[in-house]
Amino acid sequence: MNDSHKAGPVPVEEKVTVRVKDLDLYYDRTVQALDNINLDIPDRQVTAFIGPSGCGKSTLLRCFNRMNDLIDHCVVQGKIIIDGKNILKKKIDVAELRRQVGMVFQKPNPFPKSIYENVAYGLRIQGISKRRVLDETVEWALKGAALWDEVKDRLQEPGFGLSGGQQQRLVIARAIAVQPKVILLDEPCSALDPISTLKIEELIHELKTQYTIIIVTHNMQQAARVSDKTAFMYLGKMIEYGETNQIFTNPAEKRTEDYITGRYG
Amino acid sequence: MSDLNLGQHISQQFNAELEDVRNKVLLMGGIVEEQLGKAVLAIVTGDSELAAVVEENDYRVNALEVEIDEECTRIVARRQPAASDLRLVMAVIKTITDLERIGDESKRIARMVHDELAGSMSEDVRQELEHMGDLVREMLRTILDAFARIDVETAVKVVEFDTRVDTKYVSITRQLITYMAQDPKMIPGILDILWAARSLERIGDRCENIAEYIFYLVNGRDIRHLSKEDELAQMAAAKDSAS
Amino acid sequence: MTSFKKRVKAGDMESFQYWVKSGTPWVWINAAAVAASIILVVGLLMIIAVRGMGHFWPTAIQEFTYLEDDGRQHVISGQVRTREDVLASRLTESGLDVPEGVETFERILLKTGNRDLTGEDFRWILSYRIENQETPADLVILERQEWGAFMGRVVGLKKAGELIEVEDPWQTFLEMLVHTVDLREQITDLEKGAIGSVNYRMERLRLAERKLQLKGVSDPEAFAGIERERQELDEEYRVLEEGLVELNRDIRLDSVIMRTSDGQEVELSLASIVDAWRPNDMDLFQQLGQYFHKVWLFIVDDPREANTEGGIFPAIFGTILMVLLMSVVVTPFGVVAGLYLKEYARQGLLTRTIRIAVNNLAGVPSIVYGVFGLGFFVYTLGGSIDKLFFEAALPSPTFGTGGLFWASLTLALLTLPVVIVSTEEGLSRIPRAIREGSLALGATKWETLWRTVIPMASPGIMTGLILAVARAAGEVAPLMLVGVVKLAPSLPLDGNYPFLHPERKFMHLGFHIYDVGFQSPNVEAARPLVYATALLLVVVILLLNMVAIHVRNGLREKYKGLES
Repeated sequence: MNDSHKAGPVPVEEKVTVRVKDLDLYYDRTVQALDNINLDIPDRQVTAFIGPSGCGKSTLLRCFNRMNDLIDHCVVQGKIIIDGKNILKKKIDVAELRRQVGMVFQKPNPFPKSIYENVAYGLRIQGISKRRVLDETVEWALKGAALWDEVKDRLQEPGFGLSGGQQQRLVIARAIAVQPKVILLDEPCSALDPISTLKIEELIHELKTQYTIIIVTHNMQQAARVSDKTAFMYLGKMIEYGETNQIFTNPAEKRTEDYITGRYG
Repeated sequence: MSDLNLGQHISQQFNAELEDVRNKVLLMGGIVEEQLGKAVLAIVTGDSELAAVVEENDYRVNALEVEIDEECTRIVARRQPAASDLRLVMAVIKTITDLERIGDESKRIARMVHDELAGSMSEDVRQELEHMGDLVREMLRTILDAFARIDVETAVKVVEFDTRVDTKYVSITRQLITYMAQDPKMIPGILDILWAARSLERIGDRCENIAEYIFYLVNGRDIRHLSKEDELAQMAAAKDSAS
Repeated sequence: MTSFKKRVKAGDMESFQYWVKSGTPWVWINAAAVAASIILVVGLLMIIAVRGMGHFWPTAIQEFTYLEDDGRQHVISGQVRTREDVLASRLTESGLDVPEGVETFERILLKTGNRDLTGEDFRWILSYRIENQETPADLVILERQEWGAFMGRVVGLKKAGELIEVEDPWQTFLEMLVHTVDLREQITDLEKGAIGSVNYRMERLRLAERKLQLKGVSDPEAFAGIERERQELDEEYRVLEEGLVELNRDIRLDSVIMRTSDGQEVELSLASIVDAWRPNDMDLFQQLGQYFHKVWLFIVDDPREANTEGGIFPAIFGTILMVLLMSVVVTPFGVVAGLYLKEYARQGLLTRTIRIAVNNLAGVPSIVYGVFGLGFFVYTLGGSIDKLFFEAALPSPTFGTGGLFWASLTLALLTLPVVIVSTEEGLSRIPRAIREGSLALGATKWETLWRTVIPMASPGIMTGLILAVARAAGEVAPLMLVGVVKLAPSLPLDGNYPFLHPERKFMHLGFHIYDVGFQSPNVEAARPLVYATALLLVVVILLLNMVAIHVRNGLREKYKGLES
């Protein structure tokens, strides 16, 4: 079996935002979670990672903002190049990197603060405390996350007074308030009802005009709906990476076909 | 039929995609209608140049069919349409098949145009054929209109219309048989005319098919393969329950 | 339903098994245990409350005509404390002459007062020897500065040594008493306020002078300055003292002549009388008024007569202040330690060992902490501090002896494990998603902790503090070694700079109970005070806890919604 990935050719005119080269990741030095990942993620498009549970798609996603640093004994080899810099180097300022690469998690996790303070959190961390700047950015970010109209009259109310879908959009607003280049979404809709899910998906579609979006999802249909490119991962390997249309209508790999048609155990 | 709410999805892109498909179907229908008109004109006037144009333009219809087909496949693969969306996509896929066939039939009519035909065509046959062509064109226009507005009532008219086309076809056939009996030398030409009439009759049938798809799209019930009376009764019943 | 009926019909044994299997007995056992606990707690509080608070009720004074052992009739007055039955044999053994053929006799414990006359506050009388009993309205109870209560009748009044004629001696007496109480308050204010302040400043001046001497400063200017200040203070003191002498003379001018029930007449200076009332001449509202007045005085007054009279304000104050000081010390230490253990230290053998050690610290008997506090804080630390900063005051120690600060520190040490453990507990309950959310926005670990995790863990930390306060406020044993005294001369918080005096000794409710109950010269008189003080201790702890719980619930409300 050929272990190298089957990445579809990336057209020359597409600008690459994140380039992953020969990435390996080990837990506890012996358990290999990612195996020789190579892929180019295009600028201002939605790239989806799909695959069965434990295939390493979330692990790969968390490499992009080095969330895996939080896990003890996690060793990463290879390169991830964002903006011409290999972000896996030791001397990279991780906090700065995370400002560049925002992240939204599976369960909505607003802080126990007001809606306003939730969105302003990243700015306050950066030391911005001018009321006018904060006000403008909060409004801008909430509008960007399609939440402004729903919350503009209750900005001082606690963030978890919102519904699940609104909370997730609040978290997205929080992420875009620091104006990242890349937004990572780790199964952002798995805790939401179908309608909220559709709203988030529509939001993703709007956000991609300004941000490069990488989304991990269990839900293949979601990947099909929102993404421009899809990567199928299995057992830590990148099996197939290509245009979403192609992956979902005519995948090149048998394993991809089996997975998206529901033929895996 | 505004109760289908086709343009009110949360996903604006899905809206756009569905709208695009519908527009393309209407575009295709427009081209097919033009092809049919030209073909009928060519055969009744014996204009072989016009007939050549019809034959040449058929590729446009075919190309659109492939394009719409692909788009529908993509929608099914990526959007997982459900309920009315699903019926719309299915109706579109079937409609374009019928439209393509109508395009093919038009091409076939155009192919019947040649010099010997003029001799075989008596004035009354020509008039009958022209009249039948008008009827079928009217049917096609009506059904495209019904599709554009997703309007079952208009579709019902088309089903009724088809009866008239069928009657016309029978009367033309009877007339042509009389001519053939009178002068066997004219038989090859008359056969071609018969073929053209038959094509027109088939186009009428396909329009009726599209009417059935529209009924399926709106009411979710398949009324194909029923007798015409039953079909009309079903349509009337659906209309009553809707109002 | 039908199946149950069938089972019941099938036989007793089976239905019993079915009953056991259904879990019903366990529910009943649980309910019984809960009920027992509630009854115990409520009963405990009730007993303390009734025994303690009954003390302040203006009980009627009974006047008995009583047949003494020697056969003489004698009039005794007093308040009935208890009645009990005793065996005739016991009475005979104690030398009493009782009639034959009766097995038990009822005897009554009377609070008679008049200790200065009879040598006792209480006496037992036998009911059968009572020949007459009445409650005359004109009997007066005097609460005095010393010798306890006095019971008798007002018969005459003296102003500046001269007997005066009045229509209603009782009313005039009350008016004069108001005046005297007013004078006494002035004296107390003067002594504690202005004169106390002068004394305090003079002591500081003395220390300053001593400091200069120790430093070997020979500049006569400096000493001259101190001398000048001292003269000013002396002058100030002389003026105040004159006023004091005058007041003391005024207060001694008036006196009242009282006659006891058995006919003795005594002249009492009004200066010695704190309060006076006629319990037999009161309606219910007056009684209630008197009751709450007494309870109030008990809470806000200083103790008198070896703590058996007066109030317990310094003890309440000392308890609360010590607990607050302890909280101020233990919270930051405990939180920082818990934070380090949970968030920063690498989890391994060492942290596990430390955690076990911390948990075991919670189980060390509190007296051990007292010994440690005495040995380490008081002698070692305090001694060093005295040598370094308070050399002038030596040989009398400043921090080198037990005091409020060392007591708070000792209790902080005692409660540290609780706070550490609950801090860790609180921190571990914060969902990982919240931390990751903050980190993903570019916050550092510290920013994440400070801005989100610690605020969210604060209810847990407060729970630890609540437990710590509850434990510390009730602790007595270690305090006896590190600074609690039975009578502190001054509060550790007053108007003299620097206002808070952490080196001072202080009083504590828990120790007060022990002292009044077991170290008192007059156990019978003090017993109700023990209960009353115990009740107050419970109330104080309850109040401290309720404040803390209120704060915690506020925090919980603020950070709720995350536990879903």
